[in-house]
Amino acid sequence: MTSPTVLLVEDDPALRTLTARALHENGYVVRPCATAPEMWRAMEMGPIDLVLLDIMLPGTNGIDLCRALRRESEVPIIFISAKASETDRVIGLEIGADDYLPKPFGTRELIARVRAVLRRGGAEDRRAQRGQGIAEFDGFRLNLPRRELMSPSGAVVDLTGAEFDLLVALVDHAQRVIARERLIELSRTRMGDSSDRSVDVLVSRVRRKLSGTGRDAPIITVRGVGYMLNAEVTRR
Amino acid sequence: MRKGRLLSVGLLGRLFAILLLTLTIEYVASTILYERSSRALVRDDEAHRLAEHLVIARKLVSEQSWPERPGMAERLTTSRYYIHWAGSINPGLPSQGEPTPARARMIEWEPSLAGSNLQVRLVPVGRRAQLFGALQLGDGTWLHFRAITTSAGVNAGLRRILLPLLPAAVLVVLSALLFRETLRPMRMLAHAADRIGRSGGIALPEVGPREVKRVIRAFNAMQARIHQLITDRTQALAAVGHDLRTPLARLQLRADAIPEPALRQSFETDIAEMEAMVGSLLSYVGGEDDPEKPVRTDVAVLAQTIVDDAADHGGAAVYVGQDHIEAEVRPIGLKRALANLVENALHYGRVARVAVQIEDANLVIRVDDDGPGIPEDRLAEVVQPFVRLDPARSRNTSGLGLGLAIVARAAEMEGGTLHLVNRPEGGLRAELRLPRG
Repeated sequence: MTSPTVLLVEDDPALRTLTARALHENGYVVRPCATAPEMWRAMEMGPIDLVLLDIMLPGTNGIDLCRALRRESEVPIIFISAKASETDRVIGLEIGADDYLPKPFGTRELIARVRAVLRRGGAEDRRAQRGQGIAEFDGFRLNLPRRELMSPSGAVVDLTGAEFDLLVALVDHAQRVIARERLIELSRTRMGDSSDRSVDVLVSRVRRKLSGTGRDAPIITVRGVGYMLNAEVTRR
Repeated sequence: MRKGRLLSVGLLGRLFAILLLTLTIEYVASTILYERSSRALVRDDEAHRLAEHLVIARKLVSEQSWPERPGMAERLTTSRYYIHWAGSINPGLPSQGEPTPARARMIEWEPSLAGSNLQVRLVPVGRRAQLFGALQLGDGTWLHFRAITTSAGVNAGLRRILLPLLPAAVLVVLSALLFRETLRPMRMLAHAADRIGRSGGIALPEVGPREVKRVIRAFNAMQARIHQLITDRTQALAAVGHDLRTPLARLQLRADAIPEPALRQSFETDIAEMEAMVGSLLSYVGGEDDPEKPVRTDVAVLAQTIVDDAADHGGAAVYVGQDHIEAEVRPIGLKRALANLVENALHYGRVARVAVQIEDANLVIRVDDDGPGIPEDRLAEVVQPFVRLDPARSRNTSGLGLGLAIVARAAEMEGGTLHLVNRPEGGLRAELRLPRG
């Protein structure tokens, strides 16, 4: 298998070089470019596996660029922003970016995000998710693009990134047992340092957040195997 | 003190008082004048009527023979005048009576009475005054009379006072309303001035009297200038903050290439501290977000996330509140505020006990620690931006002394309050009390 190609769009020369080097050292082929026109040219030069896009490029609105890119192709996008604001993150994810990397970031975080997005499945999976990207179970609404969970009464239920990923994995395998090992592997790609214990902790936290008055969360422990979401999932 | 009390009456109150004073003076003056003239008029009128009645009575009684005279006198007695023929005996007049100017007026009106030896006395009977009098007929016999003066009754008196008061009262009310309307722009001005710097200012419509209009125009201009100033500064700070993150990212990536672990570690610590400073500065100046809108949120779950996160990073944080509480809040701001409180508690008080609950229809979020607390006289001070209690004390991670200022601002955004209290059993309690909208 050839190494994945990452298209890096970053206007700051030094940061571009450093990021490219970090990616290269971790086995990725990098096509660095500084501006939007350069990016379009680089897109024509061959298949791209992932776009790493700084949305605060001078002269171009990164959000518009991201939207245009999404119209053109299904390539996974991670956007980099110096605004660590939640609204930026949500907007970016809503217009079709796959993940978000706030500045400043270290090599470990960069590689973990890139790896996670590349692993998250092919374009077909994402196309299925898109549409509206909403999964409903047991009265809860899981909004995949916004990475947001709503309670049956319509309130936002705050989840950490790891908790959200865990819930997505459970929802994807609804009414099927998902092995603990698989969950550990999944969370490791995201968190980078997940231990065996923390998956159980994560599950118990998600359970508490999903439990309501007088009823338990629809997550079942299957002894010796793993966990299962015991609820019907409808997707829209 | 005195100035404060005077001012508290307000401009409206003062105008009203002035109006009231002038009206009262006007009323008192006119009443006194009216009363005096009318009383004089009534007395003259009374004396004239009595004089006429007596002239007729004298004539009619004189024409009768002596035996007929008592009957005639009786017939001449009316509800107001008592007439009695006393024969040749002069019964004399009540000794306690006093002479009255009425006699002179009667003679003045009916000069024929002058020759009849007229005597008149004003005698108080009970509360009323009565005129007692006697006069001699042509044959030397005496006609005795008594006049019950139509003294104004209490009711009539009250009516006479109240009636002119009515238009005055209407005037007072009317002018109070007009004053209020005239001063309305001033109230708007106060309201708008109060909002400067809190939320987007409001340009006031230039209405009202000329002076007020000028004040409003000046105020609007000032407001615009202040707003521009704040915006410029905020944008400048935010731009610097955002721009700093790019070199920070470069630094971070370069640090990752340092082979020596100890050196790399110290680099990473420094970068993390700088990033925390930038982050807290940006969240304080508000350059990070557009004004956030309230969203229905499970606040208890939000608090649990922060506690879990702190625990994952080795802090002794526990959540002891209810499992689920939903409310309309600004989740990002509130989360940042709560994270600051938990961070402070762990830093200064070793533990953070977080509870979210409903009390008296308020959403109450408490963060308790077991630290030394804060000296009572400095509780208010620590909420101010850039204030750190002890400069020698090791910095907390946010580093700029903005942590509690950000919390106080988040509370204000929700229409709630932040209270810091030293718990009697030791340790500090930070309490966010938000209306559950």
